[in-house]
Amino acid sequence: MTLRLVLVDDDVLVRSGLRVILESEPDLTVVGDAGTGREALDVAARTDPDVVLMDVRMPDMDGIAATAELVARDPQRPRVLVLTTFEDDDYLFRALQAGASGFALKRADPDELVDAIRIVARGSSLVLPDITRRLIAAHTPSRARGPAALPVLTGREADILRLVAGGLSNAEIATELYLSRETVKTHVSSVLLKLRARDRTQAVIAAYESGFMTA
Amino acid sequence: MSTFPSSADEIAARLRAVVVTALRPGWPGRVLYALASVPIAALSLALYLALFGSVVAVIYGVGLLLVPLVLATIRGFAGFDRELARTLLAVDIPAGERVRHLPRFMAKVRRLLASAATWRAVGWLGARVLLGAATLATLFFGSVGFAALGWGADWNALTALPLLALMGAVVVVVLIVLDLIVRLAAAVAPRLLGTAPEQAIAALQQSTRRLADRNKLARDLHDTIGHALTASLLQATAARRTLTPPDDRPLQPDFARQALQHIETNTRTALAELDRVLTVLRAYESGAEDGGRDPAPFAAPSLDDLEDLLSGLRDGGLPVALVVDGDVDDVPAGVQELAYRVVQEGTTNVLRHAGCPLTVAQVVRSGDTLVVRVCNERASQLDSRPGPGGGRGLAGLRERAAAAGGTLSAEPSPSGGFELCVTLPLSGAA
Repeated sequence: MTLRLVLVDDDVLVRSGLRVILESEPDLTVVGDAGTGREALDVAARTDPDVVLMDVRMPDMDGIAATAELVARDPQRPRVLVLTTFEDDDYLFRALQAGASGFALKRADPDELVDAIRIVARGSSLVLPDITRRLIAAHTPSRARGPAALPVLTGREADILRLVAGGLSNAEIATELYLSRETVKTHVSSVLLKLRARDRTQAVIAAYESGFMTA
Repeated sequence: MSTFPSSADEIAARLRAVVVTALRPGWPGRVLYALASVPIAALSLALYLALFGSVVAVIYGVGLLLVPLVLATIRGFAGFDRELARTLLAVDIPAGERVRHLPRFMAKVRRLLASAATWRAVGWLGARVLLGAATLATLFFGSVGFAALGWGADWNALTALPLLALMGAVVVVVLIVLDLIVRLAAAVAPRLLGTAPEQAIAALQQSTRRLADRNKLARDLHDTIGHALTASLLQATAARRTLTPPDDRPLQPDFARQALQHIETNTRTALAELDRVLTVLRAYESGAEDGGRDPAPFAAPSLDDLEDLLSGLRDGGLPVALVVDGDVDDVPAGVQELAYRVVQEGTTNVLRHAGCPLTVAQVVRSGDTLVVRVCNERASQLDSRPGPGGGRGLAGLRERAAAAGGTLSAEPSPSGGFELCVTLPLSGAA
């Protein structure tokens, strides 16, 4: 299966460079690009991509607003991977909060970038789990309402949420809990469903915001 | 109405409380401070006399030199005393301005005479004399009382206990009074030895301004050099991929050649910007060292910097001329910076998309309008990649121009080149 991508960045050179890098992968194809957030919404509506690679700071609607708009249109497609020049905590967290599934640095090794895109598309793990978790934990004021604030999770689901929030992939969770990968996948799906989270990143945010996980 | 202690137990409890407060952590330092305050008061008195003497000596002319000398000594002494209060009393006293660090002798003298800190240091000397006198008096009467009880009273089996209690009471009273004096000193010292309120406010404003400047500089670096390096990195990575394609993909030497040129351009403009930022930074730092007062704020680029910008591009091979028409000296700083950015973006785009054609940057002021134009002749080499609206900065510039009440147009010119034109109003612009 080929992943359809849209590139959003206000610098044509960044877009053209990314396009060449990503198109040299057999399973990725760039179906469109855009220079502003507003343009990105049009292009995404026209091309129905799997993943949008989104710059944060752009004129005429920044990446955070554009991400929120994309998520509001359809919570399932496309997923958004935020691209950033620097690790600016505040921007990144706001992008995750707006509904981005993960982020990658523009200066990342091409292989890392390609991995991040595949992970975001599959949803089987967090992108950059350590940094993401730290970022969410640091920015979420724990409301200390305790697990009661979460919808009722079974004991097994609570275990799974804890490991997901700890940044483990499905495969790692399966090893940890002596379960089959399929079982883990089912549990994760039901956790996401109960939390009304579109993906793992949003589930982790929910886990911290509810006080289920504490920094 | 205060309640009087009624039983011996209560008296004992109160005494214990007093002793405990007097002996709160750090008491050795306070005792030392109290003892030192006697000789220091004598020294303060001597400095006062010297000040008085040198003022009298002004009549004979010699004092003109003596007064600043004594004042400088007083300031130095106050500095020493501030250090003493900091270490022994653990009070936090911010150091004010340092006259010593001023560059020239006359500047030092002028600041010494004009500075409120000098006269507050003189005031502190007076407080020092009074505090020292009070300490001395307390110690004197305390010891007299103690000696009178010890040696003057009639000691026998019946009076021994009350006399001992009285002697103890004398010691306690002396301790309490000394403690009060030290507390007074600790309360007064920050006011007279520390930073004056207006000085503190000025310092705060200055540091706020510096912080804002620094944030602005960081943003500039991010926007210019950060972006240029990121774009260069991605172009370089892409170029390498096109020259070593995976599997069955074709080589794309054209892309690689173009990517290299973009990298060249980007790096060149990034270096020019780095040069500018470093120049500003160095000027700023040397301004900050100049007595620590009001360094020149980080200068935003202005029309004056255009010649530098363009000469950097000329070195890079772009034949570019600058034409400035009309009186632009009183153009507001914000508009000047925007105009600079227009020229920067325009010329960078020429390099990116058209190679090195003949280019003119024009800044024209007529009445309340400033027109900034960058136009180039027919491209020496055309950018084969389709890209909407040129570089990343154009959309941002359009926004900034609109925010300033102006307009931006960017379109091919009749002669086959390209023209970027921004019109900015000067009235009402910040």
